[in-house]
Amino acid sequence: MGKQLRIDSVLRPEVLIIGAGGAGLRCAAEICERRPGTRIIAVTKVYSPQKSHTSTAQGGMAAVDPKDPVDRVIYHMFDTWKGSDCSADQNIIKKVCETGWEQVVWLERHGMHFSRTEAGRIAKRPFGGHMLNFGEVKAFRACYEADRTGKGIMDTVWAESLRHGVVFLGQSVATELLFSHGRCVGAIVFVEPSGKFIAILAQATVMATGGKTRMYQVSTNCRQNTGDGLALILQAGLPVMDLEAVQFHPTGIVGPGILASEALRGEGGVLLNKDGERFMERYAPTAKDLAPRDLVSRCIMTEIREGRGCIHPDHNMPHVWLDLRHLPKYVHRTKIQEVTSFFRKFVGVDPETELCPVVPTAHYQMGGAPTNEFGEVQKSPEEIVPGLFACGEFAAASLHGHNRLGTNSLLELITMGKVVGERVVSYLADAEAPGDVPEEAGQHVFSQFSNCLERKGHQRYARIRDRLRVLMMEKVGVFRSEKPLTEAIDELRELKRMASRMELSSKSLVMNQELLQFWELDHLLDISMVIAQSALARKESRGAHYREDYPERKPEFDFHTLAYMTEFGKVDFAKRPIDMSIYKARGKNYKKFGMIERKY
Amino acid sequence: MSQEYELTLKISRYDPDTDRAWVQDYHLKVGRILRFVDLFRKINDEQDPTLAWSSSCEHGQCGTCGMKINGKPLLTCELLVENAVQMFKTQTFKVEPLTVAPVIRDLVIDLEKAYERIHIVKPYIIEFAPPHPEGDEYRIPPRVLEAYVEATRCINCFCCATACISTQKNYLGPNAMLADIVRLMDPREVANEERLKILYSGQGIQRCRTSQACTFVCPKQIDVAHFIALGKEGKFGKVNGV
Repeated sequence: MGKQLRIDSVLRPEVLIIGAGGAGLRCAAEICERRPGTRIIAVTKVYSPQKSHTSTAQGGMAAVDPKDPVDRVIYHMFDTWKGSDCSADQNIIKKVCETGWEQVVWLERHGMHFSRTEAGRIAKRPFGGHMLNFGEVKAFRACYEADRTGKGIMDTVWAESLRHGVVFLGQSVATELLFSHGRCVGAIVFVEPSGKFIAILAQATVMATGGKTRMYQVSTNCRQNTGDGLALILQAGLPVMDLEAVQFHPTGIVGPGILASEALRGEGGVLLNKDGERFMERYAPTAKDLAPRDLVSRCIMTEIREGRGCIHPDHNMPHVWLDLRHLPKYVHRTKIQEVTSFFRKFVGVDPETELCPVVPTAHYQMGGAPTNEFGEVQKSPEEIVPGLFACGEFAAASLHGHNRLGTNSLLELITMGKVVGERVVSYLADAEAPGDVPEEAGQHVFSQFSNCLERKGHQRYARIRDRLRVLMMEKVGVFRSEKPLTEAIDELRELKRMASRMELSSKSLVMNQELLQFWELDHLLDISMVIAQSALARKESRGAHYREDYPERKPEFDFHTLAYMTEFGKVDFAKRPIDMSIYKARGKNYKKFGMIERKY
Repeated sequence: MSQEYELTLKISRYDPDTDRAWVQDYHLKVGRILRFVDLFRKINDEQDPTLAWSSSCEHGQCGTCGMKINGKPLLTCELLVENAVQMFKTQTFKVEPLTVAPVIRDLVIDLEKAYERIHIVKPYIIEFAPPHPEGDEYRIPPRVLEAYVEATRCINCFCCATACISTQKNYLGPNAMLADIVRLMDPREVANEERLKILYSGQGIQRCRTSQACTFVCPKQIDVAHFIALGKEGKFGKVNGV
């Protein structure tokens, strides 16, 4: 018989925020500005909000400055729609693009240290897929803080949350969502340093747990991005959306997969194959190296497959080159200093004089928990879950459809974070405080943890984790087709069986990393299963989801994938229509927002 | 195959369940460009799953994996095996947690506790300057930003606070001072009086003993001592009545 697990104490804030990154805390700041004194607890898996993965975002945040002489919001909307391969939702595109600039100004006025033009205004740089005049020439649209824009955002929203007295609970994970009569009333949170479970009951719960691509061998995601939040959604019987849409960033640094920002190409860097050819010119004659990420990733993988890649001697991995040698010294020293230092530090290359080895790396999950345009989590396309909200990479509203443009994610964090904050405030106006801790609370998490604590067997965690990561990279990666996907699904089942025969070395609950890893591995396997099955079901290619056996986009797949999984491996699908309100409004440029061809 | 190294890591361990502390040796055979965080992972995978250690982004951007290696505080995600061997001229490394907060288990410290010092200096703008007449962003010329932009790169890894020779009981620490100084130099902040009070308080820069250890260890190569020296020279003005 294992330890008796129980709820140690109960906290009752008005708002519970799960995930204190850029989106979660932008939301917190909005709530506090509109409704001063709101009692908020923000739970984070890392040690302090400042350590969140948002802090590692580099390049910038797209927003059209109304004073820009040539750029227009409609171009940004078009680029986002085209970039998504016609599967983003146009109501969200409109809302986000139209409010982008005001949110950039909000950040600036709250202390973010943007890079500046000579006139002292916020500086802007070009980024992949962002263009003027409906795709003609590159636009200067990405507002940035050198190559640490995410850090600038994170520092700002964290500091604002501090100012307003938001309470942070670090090194803690939400382990079970609580419901009462269909309404979300909070969560059970496991506090790692004390090894205790606490019930947090709140009028409103906001989930913003961020990225979930740690199941890939090469990934830019931090150690904590293991899909825990989405796994809670699935466990609650709720759907997830478009998980097949995993973005591979074209330029990960060979080895650990650290992100080398698109800003490097925005500033003029070019990709070369082993023969020194600027190969992007062959694939995308107009956008070249600044074509959208899915396209560039496939081009790099094609170069490698056709024998025009190189092999890195230390990591024994194939790659292509990123050439930054021709960029002016001041660009190296001031605009991309942080990123170029990664090449020096992690692969011993000096980007001012040497070529940099890069390879596509899993970077972003376009899919997530489906929400409406107010960030309310959906049970089905017609019905929301009262009291449960979501924003950031965790959620899919969906701004990105099946492919995200660079700099649109930071934009989404701050715009949708704000939208959700607003919505929570109006929800709080007549939301009743939750009653007692629901009777069945803890059943799920305690059986999950007891199971982890009591498992017996000889399987090793590291072996399962490594097999999973190679499997996802090879069979559910940049290129996909039926046979490998089917094999991947079978292998995931086997890995799940293996995982049930791992045994803990220590049964302590206090800061027991192995225990947490067991818990995380369940989630990685769950989410991988949904990704693989969703990828198998979508028999077409769209954005980042590329099927070699179905290389074209097909009209019969003009919908979002909704997937439910309450039992491992048994995935049920439903559809959510794509919002085409801009097209349907029949405005001046409405034809640009139809099911257009996607060429760069 | 590139060169392999045979390393010995002498790791400080602490078990909160039994309140026992000890040093444990681990022997590893590894390639030249593994990072120290990879070594800890390798120990977990192959030798001892119970060893607890902290990291997050693992590329020097979050400041979670700070530890003392042979006495020097640094980010272990940035320390490559071959560089470590070169820097310390040995293949034996003492690995200890930073000293800025109590240890929870092994190499994991209560960083939330350490962060309380940053909270005290209020890293936000306390009182905003009036907005630009055109209603959008403040105008900050590049040369103004230039003077303090380096200080904004601080990630609060607490390596400087660990290296600092002043006692941590009385001094909020170099990184906390830096956060205050950033806002003193930021033209958008008008609550300079309050900021100066923090800077010159009993827990402020008067505790600094000018060892410049902060600058020496900063993983972001920020010249922390330079900014603290500006404060000591009174470059940010004086508190009324002082």
